[in-house]
Amino acid sequence: MTLVKTTLNRRSFLRAALLAGGGMVLSFSWMAGCKPSGRKALEMPEEWFELNSYIKIGENGVISLSSPNPEFGQNVKTSMPMILAEELDVDWDNVVVEQADFLPDRFKNQFTGGSQAIRSNWTPLRTVGATARQMLILAAAKHWNVPATEITTEPGILLHKASGKQASYGEMASAASQIPIPEEVELKKVSDFKIIGTSKKNVDVKNIVNGKPLFSLDYKTEGMLTAMIVHPPAFGMQLKSIDDSAAITMPGIQSIFTIDTLTGDIDQNFFDATSFTKMAVVVGNSTWEVMQAKKALKIAWEEEPERVFRRSASWMQGSEIIKATFPPGLESTDDHLAKMAEFTKKPGQILRRDGDPEGAFKKASKIIERTYTAPFLAHNTMEPVNCFAHVTAEKAELYGPLQAPEYINATLSQRLGLPKDKIHIKLARMGGGFGLRAYGHHLIEAAVISQQVKAPVKLVYTREDEMTAGLYRPAYSATYRAALDENNQLIAFHVKGGGIPEMPVAPHRFPAGAIDNYLAEGWSITSNITTGIFRAPRSNFMACAEQSFLDELAAEMGKDPIDFRLELLERAKTAPVGENNDYQADRYAGVLRLARDKSNWNETKQGIHRGVSAYFCHNSYVAEVVDLVMKNGTPKVEKVVAAIDCGIVVNKDAAVNMAEGAIVDGIGNALFGEMPFKDGAPQKNNFPSYRMIRANEAPKEIDVHFVGSETDPTGMGEPPFAPVFAAVANALYKATGTRFYNQPFINGLTTG
Amino acid sequence: MKSKTGQKEIRHSYKLTAALSVLAILMTLMVTISARSESAAFGSKDKEVFADQRKRDSVKSVEAFSKVYSVLISPRCVNCHPAGDVPLQGDDSHLHAMLPQRGKEGKGMLTMKCANCHQSENTRGPHTPPGNPNWHLPPADMKMVFEGKSASELAKQLMDPAQNGHKDMKALIAHADDALVLWGWEPGDGRTLPPLSHKEFKEAWITWLKNGAYAPEK
Amino acid sequence: MATTKLKINGKEHAVDVDPSTPLLWVLRDHLNLVGTKYGCGVASCGACVVHLEGEAVRSCVTKVSRAAGKEVVTIEGLSENGDHPLQQAWEQVDVPQCGYCQSGQIMSAAVLLREIPNPTDEEIDLAMTGNICRCGTYLRIRKAIHLAAEIQNEIK
Repeated sequence: MTLVKTTLNRRSFLRAALLAGGGMVLSFSWMAGCKPSGRKALEMPEEWFELNSYIKIGENGVISLSSPNPEFGQNVKTSMPMILAEELDVDWDNVVVEQADFLPDRFKNQFTGGSQAIRSNWTPLRTVGATARQMLILAAAKHWNVPATEITTEPGILLHKASGKQASYGEMASAASQIPIPEEVELKKVSDFKIIGTSKKNVDVKNIVNGKPLFSLDYKTEGMLTAMIVHPPAFGMQLKSIDDSAAITMPGIQSIFTIDTLTGDIDQNFFDATSFTKMAVVVGNSTWEVMQAKKALKIAWEEEPERVFRRSASWMQGSEIIKATFPPGLESTDDHLAKMAEFTKKPGQILRRDGDPEGAFKKASKIIERTYTAPFLAHNTMEPVNCFAHVTAEKAELYGPLQAPEYINATLSQRLGLPKDKIHIKLARMGGGFGLRAYGHHLIEAAVISQQVKAPVKLVYTREDEMTAGLYRPAYSATYRAALDENNQLIAFHVKGGGIPEMPVAPHRFPAGAIDNYLAEGWSITSNITTGIFRAPRSNFMACAEQSFLDELAAEMGKDPIDFRLELLERAKTAPVGENNDYQADRYAGVLRLARDKSNWNETKQGIHRGVSAYFCHNSYVAEVVDLVMKNGTPKVEKVVAAIDCGIVVNKDAAVNMAEGAIVDGIGNALFGEMPFKDGAPQKNNFPSYRMIRANEAPKEIDVHFVGSETDPTGMGEPPFAPVFAAVANALYKATGTRFYNQPFINGLTTG
Repeated sequence: MKSKTGQKEIRHSYKLTAALSVLAILMTLMVTISARSESAAFGSKDKEVFADQRKRDSVKSVEAFSKVYSVLISPRCVNCHPAGDVPLQGDDSHLHAMLPQRGKEGKGMLTMKCANCHQSENTRGPHTPPGNPNWHLPPADMKMVFEGKSASELAKQLMDPAQNGHKDMKALIAHADDALVLWGWEPGDGRTLPPLSHKEFKEAWITWLKNGAYAPEK
Repeated sequence: MATTKLKINGKEHAVDVDPSTPLLWVLRDHLNLVGTKYGCGVASCGACVVHLEGEAVRSCVTKVSRAAGKEVVTIEGLSENGDHPLQQAWEQVDVPQCGYCQSGQIMSAAVLLREIPNPTDEEIDLAMTGNICRCGTYLRIRKAIHLAAEIQNEIK
């Protein structure tokens, strides 16, 4: 039992004035509240009583829970209400779930990304649920005139055992809604959880399989126009002039103009990142008509000089504003690779030094050095960029796929010249995010277009627009060196990594802390190709490089790759080197042991090539063992065993689904993913050229195991993604005798 | 490794018996012909076309076939005459990404019948499906594989009615103007054309056929 | 512009659009049947699959003129009560993550199950390789198709 103060989270307890007739505040009339599937529709109550921002209870006992964070497939719309329902102590079958709008006055942490939605909302949501339960108890105590401490709850029911009195939550909801918010409430013991840790079906699954309009691309209002943009064909280019004489006469076309989205006087926050600020816009009656007119536009482009702008130094709200630039020029992948190779040879910025790495390398009997690279990657969310906007002189209403609404509203306010509280952002279910939808440039674009045409507008990107619009996973390179003494013992370790444009090295991460002499260095190269967060940013490369290198090192030392990692972790646990190590060695070792056991690691099978990898990121630990077969020279991952320590698992089957997806995604990107450039132009613009993993390439089996844990939940969306790249590389080595240093691995197979 | 090699099954469907009979007839009729080439043309059906044996010219025929071959193995032709049961795509002739299967009639199967994506005409724009009213692969019982065939193998295959779709000389000549063959020269946005114009191809094709349809040695 | 008569999910519609407009955009923009999704526009991802005379066509490249007078079924009309064996199975297996590609997946799977009532894993892969799922739910799709086959057998 934990006591928590409700004062930490005051805004969660705001109660909106009750609406006459008790109607639910729904975002859009067609967006019915979602019912957990697998049972009959609930009878809706006559009246709702609001206990706080998140919880409403009907007089008939039906519970409405608001899911505060945007949903893009990680199932927060189910798991967050599960946390509320647990502490509120209600029957899940009696719950309806609403997607909350972006309402910073009412909800906390409305950000889905960085695998933090559950982690950052865990205690706040529990507190909110427990507080509402306590208010129901206090209402019953007052009504029955008994001490509150004698009242217990069963799901949806208040009980006073001594007197035999009982009442449903519905009966007490009205009185509870008038109770002052308690200062302190008790949280449940983990062992008393009835909902958390079980598997609840996605609350939207019925709507999804019936094709209901769930996405903003599906949204339509009376008088709505469709808009499309044309952005420069290459990074380093800008719009010079447009000739719309042919396009403007085409059927269904209303207007053609250019927009400037982030004008020079705007201080861009971290998630304002955008590739192009001046674009051509075509507005018309229907998507197809606008698409056709867009093709008929004749646009002249020119090289862009250095672009200078002001932006936040980091993702932290209120962080320092710095001057940022995009260098001029038209960049190509070949040049990038040459430049990165150059930087790997130069000294980098020292990030961490333990012991005397330089000295140890000098006296080493053997030095192993390997360099790894990874290309830019496009996120390729299945739902392309789109956003509905209706901007008038008084207010702006926006509805679109967005992971990080709290970052964009200030920019919208500045750009549109409207106060923040006149900008209403509704959160759409997203057809994938993967980091890309943290960036809200499409909201600015849609809003600016709507303001210009004075009408409700839906901005739609084509697949080609989306794939060539930037914000890619950066390109990276890392060089690892290990020094072995005359007894073949590891005496020093050196990592030097960099990227375009960001430095990916996490200097305090394993194997830092396990080796006496350790050096981490970093570098970066500026570029005008825009990049952004991509599922497990930086880790999605560093895990691959580091875990491939450790595999090669283990082989060089004649050790089993799991035993070798466990030895290092044992050292990091018993006599850690340095003080800033960011991981817990025993939890790390725990997932490796679990993966070893569950995969029968020591068993060998004819034709099956196995690779292992383990990584810690987003506060969680994951180890994965891949079984790979070669069919006529083509690699196929048949089976993956994953062992995950992410603390308490809220929704078990949904977490398994997420891990399966992360693994499939990782295999696909490791083998096929790349966005090459020539003269600033992305060389792939749609799925026929950008190869995505398909059904026949997905493993037959993915076996997901969680370490039983009572630790508070940590990340789940990203941690299972990062390690699989190296597990595939290590299995490929077993299959082919070749080490794969450069992503995507398919290129190594092509020339081999 | 190109991704397609993983799925490729080179089917040596060229039938030995047919080859032997070609050879046998050749040896009796064509003793004067240069030993460097052998005729793939034979059979009583073709008497009409070859009434005048003097027109047969192995050198000219083989020369013409080298031109024909350059077209047949170009992506526009070879992509739908794959060695396996999955068509190829693109100028690099990679395996068709969504793995549509030939099916019995060569029109695809299950969720991926050719006409599900390939319309009666090319869809406009880059990377869009090309089209023709009769878009298909050779059927399962007559695969007419071009992929991976040498010029010699392909010449013999083309002249073997058991492997060429039961075409006689007349039908072969007519095939140069088949709508799906003609599509190769109007393949839609972003696809390279065969190395010869259709006119040049047709000329070479007929020259090859009318001069004895000799197969190159290699 | 011309009037095209369409029969979609058993209902007659007349739409006044350019006959070369893809069926996808007629469904989404003109008839408000938005369960059919836009993913690539070039018949490469399968998000837009509908049934045209029972075949799993890609509506993003199918001109509306081709559908004139023919039977079109979209995800909204796959079953009357949302209880097609595939829809039941998708729910039971809890397949979706983001959910965007799933109507196309289900419409493809429906043709597979009609032609092969009890498909093997290999047959499922052959039939479903045309549908991209960026979230990587392929294993669950396989499982759900097997389950739908069982449900379908029970109904028969």
